[in-house]
Amino acid sequence: MLRLPFSRGLPCVRVVWSAAVRGTASNPAPEKIEVFVDDKSVLVDPGTTVLQAAAMVGVEIPRFCYHERLSVAGNCRMCLVEVEKSPKPVAACAMPVMKGWRIKTNSEMTRRAREGVMEFLLVNHPLDCPICDQGGECDLQDQSMAFGSDRSRFTDIHHSGKRAVEDKDIGPLVKTIMTRCIHCTRCIRFASEVAGVDDLGTTGRGSDMQVGTYIEKMFLSELSGNIIDLCPVGALTSKPYSFTARPWETRKTESIDVLDAVGSNIIVSTRTGEVLRILPRLNEDINEEWLADKARFAYDGLKRQRLMTPMMRNKDGELVVVDWEDALIATASALSHAQPDEIAGIAGGLVDAEALVALKDLLNRLGSENLVTETIFPMEGSGTDFRTNYLANSTIAGIEEADLVLLVGTNPRFEAPLYNSRIRKSYLHNEQNVALLGPKINLTYDYEHLGDSASDLKKLVDGSHPFSAKLKAAKRPLIVLGSQQLARSDGAAILSHVQQLAKKLSSSAEPDWKILNVLHSNASQVAALDLGYKAGTAEIRQKPLKVVYLLGADEGTISPNDLASGGVVIYQGHHGDVGASMADIVLPGAAYTEKQGTYVNTEGRAQQTLVAVTPPGLAREDWKIIRALSELAGYKLPYDTLFEIRDRLDDIAPHLTRHGEVEEASFLDQSVELSKNIASSFDSSPIDVKQKHLEDFFMTDAISRASPTMAKCVQAVLKQKQSKYYEGEV
Amino acid sequence: MGSRQAAVKAGWKQAKPLISVSDRDCRTRALQLYKAWYRAFPEILRIQDLPVNLKQCREKLREEFHKNKNVTDLRVKDLLIVKGQQELQEFSKFWSQKSHMMMRFKETHNPQPQDFLSKFFSGHK
Repeated sequence: MLRLPFSRGLPCVRVVWSAAVRGTASNPAPEKIEVFVDDKSVLVDPGTTVLQAAAMVGVEIPRFCYHERLSVAGNCRMCLVEVEKSPKPVAACAMPVMKGWRIKTNSEMTRRAREGVMEFLLVNHPLDCPICDQGGECDLQDQSMAFGSDRSRFTDIHHSGKRAVEDKDIGPLVKTIMTRCIHCTRCIRFASEVAGVDDLGTTGRGSDMQVGTYIEKMFLSELSGNIIDLCPVGALTSKPYSFTARPWETRKTESIDVLDAVGSNIIVSTRTGEVLRILPRLNEDINEEWLADKARFAYDGLKRQRLMTPMMRNKDGELVVVDWEDALIATASALSHAQPDEIAGIAGGLVDAEALVALKDLLNRLGSENLVTETIFPMEGSGTDFRTNYLANSTIAGIEEADLVLLVGTNPRFEAPLYNSRIRKSYLHNEQNVALLGPKINLTYDYEHLGDSASDLKKLVDGSHPFSAKLKAAKRPLIVLGSQQLARSDGAAILSHVQQLAKKLSSSAEPDWKILNVLHSNASQVAALDLGYKAGTAEIRQKPLKVVYLLGADEGTISPNDLASGGVVIYQGHHGDVGASMADIVLPGAAYTEKQGTYVNTEGRAQQTLVAVTPPGLAREDWKIIRALSELAGYKLPYDTLFEIRDRLDDIAPHLTRHGEVEEASFLDQSVELSKNIASSFDSSPIDVKQKHLEDFFMTDAISRASPTMAKCVQAVLKQKQSKYYEGEV
Repeated sequence: MGSRQAAVKAGWKQAKPLISVSDRDCRTRALQLYKAWYRAFPEILRIQDLPVNLKQCREKLREEFHKNKNVTDLRVKDLLIVKGQQELQEFSKFWSQKSHMMMRFKETHNPQPQDFLSKFFSGHK
């Protein structure tokens, strides 16, 4: 692992990193030094590089290999600039400034250096821009226009001299055209530093240098798509998107990813009513500029298995296409013929807050309180009454400030890859230590394994575990509890023990430091609990149900057998998955790229998706379906527009309309008090997680299960595991 | 906001009508316009091939005037009269054409759905 030796090996790197580290105010701020960039004076901290100093006065120096979130390589030489009284131009990305330096970013020497570098790069770069997928968003294209020479000295008309490199096969997501590679090594640095998979590297020297995996193997990472964004040329491009569109043809919509509970910010590129690709959008507090592969590549699942029209089961038991009027009238009559307590609503993992509040209002008006989420959360003690109990209270960015992370029954690498990449980042750069209670898994960083039984948790609480001393010594400890453990029969006991542990640690931790974090696995859970849904279907299954309204519920937590005879299952959602196949009435809804909806991520941050494409066929936005249904059922809901339903959200929970902001919660003391009466008997079964290996990561919900790309990924990973070169647990 | 409202109010008081000096004067103009249209229709129907008869045209004329029966502001009434005169000229000189006249009758016009349910059933609105 590259932890310390790497930063020791590169002296200038350590300086850059320490400037980027959050909240390390151990030493008093050193005196600033003055440098001049193009005769503009700027005061910078010692250790700032020339490139950073230039950026401070708004001068952008061209670069290929430098990336602010990766270590400095300094091998592309594009950022050469002249420094007065220096005989040679210096590489701006790696050179720390000295006092009084006069940097010239546009002098004759600088320009000639750039032209020379560009000429060398183009000596071996193919001129296949017309058939290259990077065309239009290529750094090499842009910079050769801006900084390259205006004429060519290329005389090899017989095409004998250009380097040709064999393409690599690194999996179904990333396409490699290695002849285009300019050896910036960004992908190598990303793989070893951020993704934690040391698969990529270089072989050969000089013009024989090649980037690759040494032996042919798949790039086994859940963050592999990011190397496509990092590649400044077209050497690494997206396989599913290849030869699809040019960037200037597409319409970009800023949205939110809902395939995990992190709420990564994304840009949805669309053309002619079709989602063509999904790219990450910068948000320092959530996903920085990375995106998990599922969020990036599962978009082709939005075109398959879609519910396009309302459907009803005929007397032969087959689902047949019907009009909206017929479907809604049948639904309304089913709802009005049942007694209030015989009606239940079950919300799935991809539902927006607007639909959740509309369904809750409708069922409450009908007199039913049976509104639950599919995902279980213990309702004993204070249950979901305090938001502290079910949020990742220390926020995602807050991980970087923690000095000790205790993971309890979770595999953040596959449940929330960007949460995990934050932990890895802090592990590498902030000296953070990690411990895991659960099965032994590969988290891409070293951790201390504390055991896999619930009794180890008990030992941690009463202080008899060997690790307790370290926990107690931590100033900013952080406990991450996986939501899967709450579904165990002893989930309440686990939650209450984790709460008690958090409470105990808060005495030795810094004041106001939040310790307890629950890492959810789906995007709608926090909003549903905020709106007053109960968690888990166990309670309502005991009731004599006549009508069950599944709002995107696809995990199969309830079956038609749980209903009284003659019961009706209504499914509203976007994919023909488990829920739709057992439904008597199917109402087609919109997926997250097709509606403007509010989602709350695991840290309690409300964000909204925007409409990128219209819903297919007769599908409608989810809250509108429920609103229309309410009118036909005779309980008209008082909102007709998005603004009106957002007003309603605002009435219930004001944070749901404050998009982009984290709404904090701090009632840990009270909920610990209330959880004291919970029976603390544990199951004998070991603490386990569902997603242990990379192949478990790709297909977890209705959208990714419908995605051919995700299916190919699972196949490719399984195939790679058969390979004789495969080693270790991934 | 307050100062802007005050300025508008002051403007209201000071603004003087440009064409009609009194309600009575304005009424005369309106009647003149009505009569001019009334008399122009036979000629408009002669030069244009319209699928309506004289009676329907004159009914439509009455309807169009009645649309503005609640207008009280003298300047607005003047403006409407001027626009009516312009339109009359356009039709009698055949600058406006068949479709412009038939737009008033809206034979093929389907009203947009107004309430939530009919919007919901009609499409993505």
